[in-house]
Amino acid sequence: MTIAIRTLEDLTRPSATPDSPLATQEYFVNMGPQHPSTHGVLKLLLKLDGETVREVIPVLGYVHRGMEKVGEHLGYRQFVHMSDRMDYLSALMNNWAVSRAVETAMKIETNERIETIRTIMAELQRIQSHQLWWGVFGMDLGAFTPFLYGFRDREHVTDILEKTTGARLTMNYIQPGGLMFDLHPDFQKEVKEFIAYFRPKLKEYETLFSENVIVHKRVKGVGVLDAKTAISIGTTGPVLRASGVDYDLRKREPYGMYSKVKFEVALGTTGDTWDRYQVRIEEMKQSLSIIEQLIDNIPEGKTMLMKPGAKIKPPEGISYSHMETARGVLGIMLVSDGKDHRPYRIHLRTPNYNNIWSITHTAPGWRIADLVAILSSLDIVVPDMDR
Amino acid sequence: MTMQTPTKPAKKPVGPIRGFFKGISSLLKGMGVTFKYFVHPSTVVTQQYPENRETLKMPDRARIRLSMPHDENGYHKCTGCHICEDACPNRSITVVDRKNATTKRQEIDHFIWRMDSCTFCNLCVVVCPFTALKMHGDFENSVYDRRLLIYNLNRYAGPAAPALAKIEDPEERKRNIDERGVYSGLIPMNGSAIAGVRACGKPPESEKVRVTEDDIKGESP
Repeated sequence: MTIAIRTLEDLTRPSATPDSPLATQEYFVNMGPQHPSTHGVLKLLLKLDGETVREVIPVLGYVHRGMEKVGEHLGYRQFVHMSDRMDYLSALMNNWAVSRAVETAMKIETNERIETIRTIMAELQRIQSHQLWWGVFGMDLGAFTPFLYGFRDREHVTDILEKTTGARLTMNYIQPGGLMFDLHPDFQKEVKEFIAYFRPKLKEYETLFSENVIVHKRVKGVGVLDAKTAISIGTTGPVLRASGVDYDLRKREPYGMYSKVKFEVALGTTGDTWDRYQVRIEEMKQSLSIIEQLIDNIPEGKTMLMKPGAKIKPPEGISYSHMETARGVLGIMLVSDGKDHRPYRIHLRTPNYNNIWSITHTAPGWRIADLVAILSSLDIVVPDMDR
Repeated sequence: MTMQTPTKPAKKPVGPIRGFFKGISSLLKGMGVTFKYFVHPSTVVTQQYPENRETLKMPDRARIRLSMPHDENGYHKCTGCHICEDACPNRSITVVDRKNATTKRQEIDHFIWRMDSCTFCNLCVVVCPFTALKMHGDFENSVYDRRLLIYNLNRYAGPAAPALAKIEDPEERKRNIDERGVYSGLIPMNGSAIAGVRACGKPPESEKVRVTEDDIKGESP
């Protein structure tokens, strides 16, 4: 397979095949970085012909905080709280990925209680993240009601998580060697209540939004990402699975308690915006079933295996851990020189950074309103891209 | 163990008239959902803040504000050991210690917490060997000046509660203690004085402001 490398100069040339009979001229528009539909400070440089998108050039880096470099100056335990601020909608999963990399380096074996709680927390967070995405997806298509409904139901999960972790967004709960706190006594009861509450609400989502004829017209067949392109640009998560590629790390390389629970990987067929929508709705249902299987079977045990004040100094070497967050594969590489309690080098492989480039393949040919729908279906979080 | 997303089997395309009515019915069904909530006001979940201030309770573990709990005698447990300072990822905590005049042992002078840069990661609370720190859910922290977000958490400079309990003479105990206000001492930011701070913090009359000319010139604590 050959990869065509296009320079910025290539992109600025007029397109070969103007589809309008009028003598129109192509022009450039900056969409963002201050635009409500770009979900943060993402800039899209659009080459437009009328309202038809010819080229999309994502311009990243507006919230670059140099996390990899900052991490070299923080201890391993301190870096966990930085990972909250990458993909803030999957904060617990990011915490877990860092903790797992540190545990691999330190050769710490966690017990079943810790792993079960981590898995439940990660799935709750996945539901929470997809609820927010569902609301925002509706709003990007011009429907404001889903936004309110999504946030209303998200509040239930947030309250459960807040009661145990103490924070609503940047939890910093999963630590190397265990968990910051034990579960709140009400946790199991509240999660069961939430599952009973949310199942009917998912049906309501379908009636309100998924079966709406306007939604069908807006998303079906729009922004098709074929499997080959999806793999070649390294997309992961629901974006890749919507294209029909069966790649889910929870199944491929089971971590936590995923090898002991039954769940199915939702797959799309064509890779259009509608498939990406359906995959996420199905993932919420699967997450509910995973939580249901685990919530009554939390074994007893310690929740923290290391002294909280102890400095972590792994032996010389490289440790890598990757994990399926709500948006795709998050990979964390930690290099230790064995001399310091701080990592020598950190490398982060964040899912959104790869997923965003799929719009350069899917959006051309569609209108600006469709571009917004396609972009929203990728479920991007900009601080995760720029990190 | 994989599944395809639910896609309907290929039917013959719906005609324009049937399609029109199907579309209308799907819209009405969606409207039905919102209408259901419209006629059931009991399902409203919006919190009426600030009207519900009295009943609004944050969870026990809410990490909104760092505090140093003082017991009924007004004594804290901080010994000025700097462990929280080392654990803090971004230096939001500065511990200033001093030597006790009589015992020559290390004790806390100022425990300075910068709320403006704090990330509320809870590491200081977790690592403290004396459980001297606690996060609580007091969320109404708005101030008109950023510098007012730098707090002095200890109410007095002196030995921790267990050490003070050993001193039996109350007069001797008092001699070991120097009172500290919320905004007293080396703060506000970088030692620069700020108008109105003393009125906000309400420090005791006995306390003297330690901001000197040198501090104002930019010597950070």
